[in-house]
Amino acid sequence: MIIFIAILIGCIVGAIVGVNVPIISYTYSGYLAIAIIAALDSVFGGITSIIKKNFDMKIFISGFFGNAILSILLTYLGQKLNVDIYLAAIVVFVGRMFNNLAIIRRYYIEKFSNDKVFSKAKKIIDKNEGK
Amino acid sequence: MRKDKMVIIIIVGIVAAVLSGTMFMQFRAVEWTEETQIEGMREAELRTTIAEYKEKYEELETKLLDNNKKIDEYNQKLESNQESAELVEKELEQTNLLVGKTKVKGEGVIVTLKDVDENRITPDILVELINELRYAGAEAISINNKRIINMTDIAEVTAGYLVINSGDQSRITSPYEVKAIGKEEYLASNLSLKNVGFIDKYNSSGYDIQLTKDNNITIEPYEGNINIKYMEEAE
Repeated sequence: MIIFIAILIGCIVGAIVGVNVPIISYTYSGYLAIAIIAALDSVFGGITSIIKKNFDMKIFISGFFGNAILSILLTYLGQKLNVDIYLAAIVVFVGRMFNNLAIIRRYYIEKFSNDKVFSKAKKIIDKNEGK
Repeated sequence: MRKDKMVIIIIVGIVAAVLSGTMFMQFRAVEWTEETQIEGMREAELRTTIAEYKEKYEELETKLLDNNKKIDEYNQKLESNQESAELVEKELEQTNLLVGKTKVKGEGVIVTLKDVDENRITPDILVELINELRYAGAEAISINNKRIINMTDIAEVTAGYLVINSGDQSRITSPYEVKAIGKEEYLASNLSLKNVGFIDKYNSSGYDIQLTKDNNITIEPYEGNINIKYMEEAE
C-alpha cells in the first residue's frame, strides 16, 4: 500500500518539476521522447517481473536509466549517421511494452477467474459441511 | 528488512518522479512546438522550407524586375507618344493657321477700297493688292471678313458685285475692307511707296484707297469646307 503512495507522491513531484522547468528545444525533445519510451518499457518490465516473482531492484534501476541513456545515445548516433535509429528503438520498446502488458493482463484475468472458482468451491464445501 | 523496504519505496518514488517529470517536460515541449511553427521544425524541414522560400523569392524578384522593365518601357513609350502627339498637334496648329481655318489676330494693316463713280474696284485690283500684301509678308488676309486661302477665287458677277470664295455665294460690294496680318511697317511701306506703290498708283488714277495701321487685327477663319477630291499625296 505504501508503495502506491510513494508512486503517487513521485508523480506529483515530477509533474510540478516538469511544468516549471524551462522548455527544452525541439531538437532535444526527440531524445527525451525516446528516453520516456525506454523508461516506460522498463516500468512495465518491472511490473511483469514482480508478477513472475523474479523482480530485482538493481536490474530495474539499471534498466530504467540505462535503457533511457542508451536509447538517447543511439538516437544521437542515428542523427549523426543520418539513419532513423530511434524508429528501431521505438519498435523494440513498444513491442516489449505490449508483451509485458499482455503478461500482466493474463495474470490478473487468471487470478480473477481463479478467485471466482475458489469462492464457488468454498461455498459448496461449506454447504456440504453444514449438512 | 524495514530499511530495505524504505529504500525500495524511495527508489520507486524517485523513478516515478523522473518519469512523470520528463513526460511533462516533453508534453510542454510538444505543445510549445505546435504553437511556434518554424522554431520547432527539424533542421531538414527548415532547410526545405528555406529553399522553398528562396525559390519563391527569386521567382518574385525576377517577376519584379520584369515588371519594372515593362513599366520603364511603357513610360518611355508614353513619353515618346506624348512628344509625337505634341509635335503633331503643333504641326496641325501651324497648318490650320496657314490654311485659314482658325481665327487669327496680330499686327497688320487695313486697306479700305471704295468705288468712285466709274472707277469701280475690280477683282484684278484686289488680286494685285493681295499679291502686294503677300509680297510684303502678309500671313493672313481677308476681304470683307472673307478669308483669303490658297483656294480663293475672286470674280465679278455683275458690275459692282464681287464674289470671293465662290463656294459661298454671298456677294460683296464697295467699300472693300482688306485686312492683312503681317509686319505692320513692311506692309504699310510696301503699299504706300511714292508713285509706284499700290495706293499711290490707284489713288492717282481716281480710286479711293485708304490705309490704316492697326496692331491688333482679328481675321475670321474660312467658313466653307475645304474638299479635296482629285489630288493626293504623291510619293
